[in-house]
Amino acid sequence: MSRDRVQPNCWVALKLPSEDFKILEIVPNTTISLGKYGSFPSNLIIDRPYHLTYEIQDKRDDENFARLRVVPAAELNADALADTSADAEEGETEEETIIKPSDGEELTLVDEASGQVVIRSKGEAIDETARQTLTIQEIEELKKKGTSAGKELIAKLLLSHTAIEEKTAYSLAKYKLLKTKKYIRRFTVLPLDVPLLAQWMLEDKDASKIMEMRNESMALVGCWADVHYVAPHLNDAEDESGGRWLVVDDTGGLLTASLAERMGILHENPDEAEKPQEENPEVQIEAGSEETKTEARPAKRRRPDDLELPFAKRNTLTILHHNTQPNLFLLRYFNYDSSDPDPHPPYHPLFSNMMSLSWLQLLNPEEDITLANPPEEVAPEVLATWKTNRRGNHHRKRRRWARTRHIVDSTRAGGFSGLAVASPMDPVSILRHTLPLLAPGAPIAIYSPSIEPLNSLVDCFSVGRRGAWITDPPKEAEGKGIEELERWEGNAEYPLNPTLVLNASIQTSRAKRWQVLPGRTHPVMTAKGGAEGYIFTGWRALPVEGKIEARGKFKRKKADPK
Amino acid sequence: MATAPQLLEPRQRSKPGDLAVVLLARDSYEPLILEQSTGAVDGYAEGAMLNTRFGSFPHSTLLDIPWGSQVRASAVDTGSRGRKRRREDSGDDASTPALEDTEGTATPTSAPAKKAVSASSGFIHILRPSPELWTYSLPHRTQVVYTPDYSYILNRIRARPGTRIIEAGAGSGSFTHASVRAVYNGAPKSEDDRKGKVFSFEFNEARFRKMEEEVDSHCLRDFVSIKHRDVYNEGFLVDGKSPMASAVFLDLPAPWKAIRHLSRRRPQDMEQDASDDSKWVSALDPKKTAMICTFSPCIEQVIQTVSDLRKLGWVEVDMVEVSNRRLVSQRDRIGSYLPKEKGANPNPADVTEALSKLREVNQKTREFTRIKANGREGGQDDQMDVDGSNSEREPNANNKLDESSTEKSWMQGRLVHRPEAELKSHTSYLVFATLPPEWSEEDEAAAYAKWPCGNEAKVVGSLDKAARKQEKRDALHSKKKRKQDQADGEAQ
Repeated sequence: MSRDRVQPNCWVALKLPSEDFKILEIVPNTTISLGKYGSFPSNLIIDRPYHLTYEIQDKRDDENFARLRVVPAAELNADALADTSADAEEGETEEETIIKPSDGEELTLVDEASGQVVIRSKGEAIDETARQTLTIQEIEELKKKGTSAGKELIAKLLLSHTAIEEKTAYSLAKYKLLKTKKYIRRFTVLPLDVPLLAQWMLEDKDASKIMEMRNESMALVGCWADVHYVAPHLNDAEDESGGRWLVVDDTGGLLTASLAERMGILHENPDEAEKPQEENPEVQIEAGSEETKTEARPAKRRRPDDLELPFAKRNTLTILHHNTQPNLFLLRYFNYDSSDPDPHPPYHPLFSNMMSLSWLQLLNPEEDITLANPPEEVAPEVLATWKTNRRGNHHRKRRRWARTRHIVDSTRAGGFSGLAVASPMDPVSILRHTLPLLAPGAPIAIYSPSIEPLNSLVDCFSVGRRGAWITDPPKEAEGKGIEELERWEGNAEYPLNPTLVLNASIQTSRAKRWQVLPGRTHPVMTAKGGAEGYIFTGWRALPVEGKIEARGKFKRKKADPK
Repeated sequence: MATAPQLLEPRQRSKPGDLAVVLLARDSYEPLILEQSTGAVDGYAEGAMLNTRFGSFPHSTLLDIPWGSQVRASAVDTGSRGRKRRREDSGDDASTPALEDTEGTATPTSAPAKKAVSASSGFIHILRPSPELWTYSLPHRTQVVYTPDYSYILNRIRARPGTRIIEAGAGSGSFTHASVRAVYNGAPKSEDDRKGKVFSFEFNEARFRKMEEEVDSHCLRDFVSIKHRDVYNEGFLVDGKSPMASAVFLDLPAPWKAIRHLSRRRPQDMEQDASDDSKWVSALDPKKTAMICTFSPCIEQVIQTVSDLRKLGWVEVDMVEVSNRRLVSQRDRIGSYLPKEKGANPNPADVTEALSKLREVNQKTREFTRIKANGREGGQDDQMDVDGSNSEREPNANNKLDESSTEKSWMQGRLVHRPEAELKSHTSYLVFATLPPEWSEEDEAAAYAKWPCGNEAKVVGSLDKAARKQEKRDALHSKKKRKQDQADGEAQ
C-alpha cells in the first residue's frame, strides 16, 4: 500500500479543533498525546486512510487506552448546515439529498441548539451581566468525567449560560463554535505534504526559516520555472540532458521539497508500479544491521566501484548553497536525511535525483578542499591490509570526490531547463553566475519576501538600458562574442547583460480566505501579515550576434532619448 | 507513442511540428506551429511565413535553433503575391513599406523554398512553450483560468505526478495544459498501466472540437481524454468506466449540479431512476481521498456549491479568492533641472531645489522691476545687473545639469514600482473540499487486528509537566551513558 494510508514511521499532521496542527512521526506502539484533547494509541491510526476525523472516546473499563470513533461527515457538517434548515423550514425536501450517516447516530446537541434558535426572535439586546453559571470547578469536574468526547460538556455550557435565550442565532453559533474548539476531543489525520508543511511552518512554527513563503508564492515559482516530471529516458536518444533544474534555496528545503513534489521525486514509492524495483534492496537492508553494513554487506554487489555515480541524468534538481553543506532540514519530514552522504538502500528518490554544490565549488572549483585533493589510488592488496575504519574512510573519500567532481562538472557544463530561487542573497549576483548555466529559453522564477531586490533586478533589464546596450555598448563589451557576453561580469551601468533575459516582470499573489456559512458569508477577519511575497519571472534569451534594430512603433520612441 | 510531447519533455532546439510561442514585444505572445516547407507556401517563396508588425519571419529561420533565440526579420516580398497586404500588417506596417519594397528581391514561386535573407531591422524571440506561455497566448474562447489561479488550485488539490484529474468545462484549455503538466508521470506502457491523466469534459461542441485539435497538435492524446458531454446529467464516466480520479476541477456555471456525480455511493435523490438498474460506478478512486475545486465568479454560486458539498459529505470545505497583481518597475525622475523629456517630472526634487527655484523667480521679478525702474532713468547699469545675477544663478543650475547628464537617463531618479495600469481585480472564488475514502467497520476491524493496541511503550506529542521532566531525565541519562562507551559514539 502506498501513500493513501497512514504508514508506520511516517510523518503526519494532526489537525486539532483549535485549527492548530501537530506534526508527528507515527511510531507504532506509542501513545500520542494531544494535551487537553486527550491521548490515544498510534496503532489506531496506522493503516487507516487519511482525512478521517476521529473522536477520542472514553476509556473502556477493561482497557488501558482510549479508542477512536470515526466522525461521519454528516455530523461534522451539521453545524455548518444547521441554519439552513432553521431559516427555511420548507427546505426540508432538500435535506433529503444528504447521504445518511452510516451509523445513524443521534445528533442531539445540534438539534437542541438549533431548536432553540428556531423559536426565538432575533436581535434582542443581551443582558450586560449575562454569564456562564457553571463554575470553573464544575467545568473541570465535567472535563475529568469527560463523557462523549466533550460534547456533553459543551451542551451543559450552552444550557447554563444565563443569556442563552437572548443570544441571536449568530452569536449562539459563534459561542458554540468557541466552546467546541476548546473542548471537543476530535482530530483529523492529514498526510504531511509540502503545502501543509508550508502552512504549518508559516502559521505555527517559524515563518522566518522559510522566508515567509506562502503556498501561493510557492505554487507560482513552481509553475513559472516550469518544473515538472520528465521521463528518465526518451525514446529517441536526442536531448538526453533535458529536465534538469537549478535551485537556490534558503528556505530550509521547502522550495526544494515543493519542486521535488512537482517532479515526483519527493515521496518514497509514490506509485505502486515503481515498487518492484525497490523490493530487492529492501531485503538487503534487513539482512545487515546498522553496524556491520560497511563490511558484512555484499559489498561487491552494491558498490562495484567507488567512482560509480548514483545520479540520474534527467528529472534532477541541482541545489546551490552558500554553506559547505546545504541546509535542507525540512526534507527530514519526507524521510530524507540530507546530511547522510552515504545512505543505505532502499534509496530515497532524492538521493539519485538531487545534487548539491556550493557557490565556491561552482565558481572556483580549484579552491575546494574536496576537489583539490583527489584521493590516491590504493591497490586492493594494500587496502585489504588496512583496518576497517581506515578502509571505510578511504572508500567514503573516494565516493565523495567522484560525486562532487561529477556534480561540479555537470553543473558547470550548464544547459539547465529552468531556475528557481528563494534566497536573501542579491538576485543580481545570483543571476550573474547562473544565467550562463541556463539553456536558452529556460524560464526563471525568483521569490523574494520583499519587492526591492526584485525591483532592482528588473531595472537591470529596463527598456532604456537594453536599448543603450545595443546602440551604444559599453567599452568592455566591445568586440566580444555572444558567448563571452553571456558571462558578462557586470559594471556600474550594466550589472547584468540586459539582453539575456526576456520579459522580466514581478507579480504578487495573495489568497484571501472566506467564511462560508448560511447567511454569514464574509472574508475572514484576520490573516497572517508579514511578507507579502513577490515573484520575478523571465526567460533566458539567446541574442543574435551583431547589431540589431527594432522595428515598428517602438522605433520612434527609442530615437527620442538620444 | 511516437514522440514525447514537447510540453512535457523539454528539448533544446525547435523542430518541425513543434508549437512555438513567439514573443513579439513585452507581454505580447503569439502561438505558432512550426512548419518545414519544401517549396513556396501561400505565395511566399521562402515557404511558410509568420508576418508580424516587427517584420516577416519565414518558418525556416525559426527551425532547428535553440529556444529563446532572437531571430532577425527577413526581407520578404509581401507585395507581389498577387493579393493585398495581410490584414494584421496593414495598421502597423505603415511606417516601413518603403524599406521592404526596396529590399524585397523575391523571385516568383518556384521550388525549392528560397533561402531567407535578413532584413535590416526587426526581430522576435521564440520561446519553448509551457502552460504559462500557452495560457497567455492561446486563442480565447471563454474566460481563461490564469496562472495565479491554476497554480494555487493545482497545489491545493494535490495534483502531482500520477494524479488522475477530472476537469469539467475545458473552456479555452489553459487549465488542461497546466494540469497535464502537473500530473504527467510518463506514458502508460499498456492499457492497464494507470498513469497520471487529465479527464476533460466540455459541453459546447465548437469548443470541444477546438480542444481536440489542440490536444492532438500538442501531442497530448495519451495524457488528456477529452469528451463532449453534459456533465450535469451524464456524469464523469469515460465509456462507462471510472476515470479513478482523486482530483477534480469544476469550472461550470452550476457546479452543484455536477458534484452529485462525484459521490462514492449513489446519492439518495438519484435512486428513483428505476429504469437504470446498473450498479453505481463512482468516478473517484475508492482508495484515495478526493480533492475538489470549483471555480465560480459569483458568491451565490459559492453558497449553493458549499451547501451541497456539505450535504454530500465533503469535509474541510474552504473558500478563497486569489488576488494577483503584476507590478511595473520604473524610474521616478523628478527634478526641475532634468532635461525635458518624456517620463520626467518637472517638479522640484526636494525643498532645497524648490527654494532655489523660488529664489530664481524672485531674482527675475526683482530684475524685471529694476529694469523697468531703471529704464525710466537710464539704461546703463541694468545690463550689468542682469549679467551679475545670471552668473550667480548659473553655477547652481549647471551643477544640477552636470550631475544628471553624466548619468544615463535610465539610471536617473528613484526606482519605484506600482501595480500595472489594468488589474484583474476579481477572477473567481475557489471552493475547496475533501472527500475521504469510505472506511467501514470491517476495514477497521481488519486494521485493528493488524495493529493491536494496549502495548504502548512511549508517549509522544503534548506531554504534561511530569512526563516532560521524566523524558529529559532519561535523555540526559542515556547521553551520559553514551559518552562513557565511546565506541558507539556515532550511533545517533
